[in-house]
Amino acid sequence: MQWMWAVLMLAGVGFAWAAPTLGGAAGSVTQTLSQAAMDAVALCLRLAGGFAFWGGWIAVLEDSGAMRGLLRALHRPLARLFPGVDMDGEAGRAMGMNLAANMLGLGNAATPMGIRAMQLLGRDAVDGAATDAMCMFLVINASSIQLFPGSVISVRAAAGAVAPASILLPTLAATAVSTAVGVLCCLLLARGSRHG
Amino acid sequence: MGDVLIPLLIAATLAFALWRRVAVYDAFARGAAQGLAAARSILPFLVAMLPALALLQATGALGALADLLAPALERLGLPRSVLPLMLTRPLSGSASLAVLERTLDQVGPDSYPGRVASTLMGSSETVFYTLALYLGAAGVRRARHAAPAALLAWFAGSVAAAWACRIW
Repeated sequence: MQWMWAVLMLAGVGFAWAAPTLGGAAGSVTQTLSQAAMDAVALCLRLAGGFAFWGGWIAVLEDSGAMRGLLRALHRPLARLFPGVDMDGEAGRAMGMNLAANMLGLGNAATPMGIRAMQLLGRDAVDGAATDAMCMFLVINASSIQLFPGSVISVRAAAGAVAPASILLPTLAATAVSTAVGVLCCLLLARGSRHG
Repeated sequence: MGDVLIPLLIAATLAFALWRRVAVYDAFARGAAQGLAAARSILPFLVAMLPALALLQATGALGALADLLAPALERLGLPRSVLPLMLTRPLSGSASLAVLERTLDQVGPDSYPGRVASTLMGSSETVFYTLALYLGAAGVRRARHAAPAALLAWFAGSVAAAWACRIW
């Protein structure tokens, strides 16, 4: 991250020197930078409202037992996807909790459980190579499985959208496609690497 | 369509929670506090990222890069204005949130490119960050097929986002 930011910043300053639009005038660069910094604070304030509101609803859902319901619903499909893992064991439970929290958009709750799951799965790793189960778990985590894109709806509302939630169905569809492609690739590539 | 669903989702959540005897007001307030904390925690990163992006945009560097990569993207049905978002999304959540905001500001949140950008953001994860974090935590050096599979999934999701926005 720090390299990405440093490169962006250096490139920005470098181009400002060369670009005729800012005319190498040091004043306009300062102007652009401070204006953007102020915009960032204003944006954060507007976002905070949406984050808080949708976070509130997710918490209500969580307290109604949505996590337990999701865990029960996920049990059978997960046992299929992870044939080598006992879904009622410690690693299996951590994986289920991580995926259910991710689906609800509780990223802060999901990450520690995902790390725990990876550490437990890592006990079966040979020669520092990820097992099939680890690869599958990684790919599902790296492709989004979030069901309700609250923060995106907040950004759209902050940008003055007429229909902030109009992206709900396309988002669900794209999420489903990306996770399905990830799982399929995992199954195919795992088979390939075992025979090869 | 989605905006019709929201009131229904809220009503259903509330009715279900009341039926399960949840202290709904307290639960909402707790979640809202977490949401505020989340917004507060991304603020420093927004202040770091947005000025850098603004400078790149004002100088035309971002436009030049988009010109370079746009033909390949447009062949897949992805509008060129989502390119900055596609480049930052796999790397960082807060940076891509900042890029999404700038993109929506320029093309309009209700336009087709604006909707594709929003869908992209909501349907993908920080692929590289997630892989690095979890592999590091497990002490694994070789990811085997996890990296290519995750990238293919991300790419398929991006193309699907463009198509889905055309349908709905």
